Amino acid sequence: METTTTHLKRCDVIALKGRFDSNTAPDLEKTLRASMSQGVYDLVLDMAEVDYFGSAAIRALVMAYKECRHLDRGDVRLARVNQRVQHVLDLAGISPLMQAYDDLTLAVGSF
Amino acid sequence: MAKLYELCITSQLSNLTQIAEFIAQRTALAGLDEDQAFAVQMAVDEACTNAIEHAYEGRQDGEVRVCCYLESRDFVVRISDRGRPFDPSSVPSPDICAPLQDRQVGGLGLFLMRKLMDSVEFRFDAVQGNEVVMRKHRQAGQR
Repeated sequence: METTTTHLKRCDVIALKGRFDSNTAPDLEKTLRASMSQGVYDLVLDMAEVDYFGSAAIRALVMAYKECRHLDRGDVRLARVNQRVQHVLDLAGISPLMQAYDDLTLAVGSF
Repeated sequence: MAKLYELCITSQLSNLTQIAEFIAQRTALAGLDEDQAFAVQMAVDEACTNAIEHAYEGRQDGEVRVCCYLESRDFVVRISDRGRPFDPSSVPSPDICAPLQDRQVGGLGLFLMRKLMDSVEFRFDAVQGNEVVMRKHRQAGQR
């Protein structure tokens, strides 16, 4: 798995690539926390190249969502979620609560 | 009895990729479609994570055995470990309808296993240890 963070004016875009299982989810959490520790609470997660997103990765995502939205200081939004990951987010009941965009530019523009 | 395929790994999370590859290979050879194969892969990944993180509590030298075989219309996966007894009834079900702010961590892996597979059964035996048996029904016409 690989994560790449790009700092934009409006938000951080974090591109995720590969397999996010219990072994690699702690690295995802670290990446998300790195943005938050710099005071960036508006995050876009670009999910286009995610092959696998297990329960540990979902927990990291929910952790970031809670922390970013705390005191209304920001939000976590998803971009380009593929069908496989979408199915998992649907099962876990995440989809109705997290804003998702088919287009990365729209996701960034939403902030 | 149909042929049984087995993979034995030590209880390290870094071995999850190897397990995923093994399951991908076996589900493809059993003729499962992509969605079924993905469901089995994810359920096995979560079950093995439970064995490594909870049954062995972080010990890295435990043994986790993953066996798969065909039984009539079912693709069956049996995962066993010799760690601490696991009682699935002690794991609360996550409330997936609660606002995300109120979501509790934990229980999600088990919840997903049950959603993704057609049946999930847990057993514990003082000699054999923990065993979870999961089944995915194959559709008519699949090999």
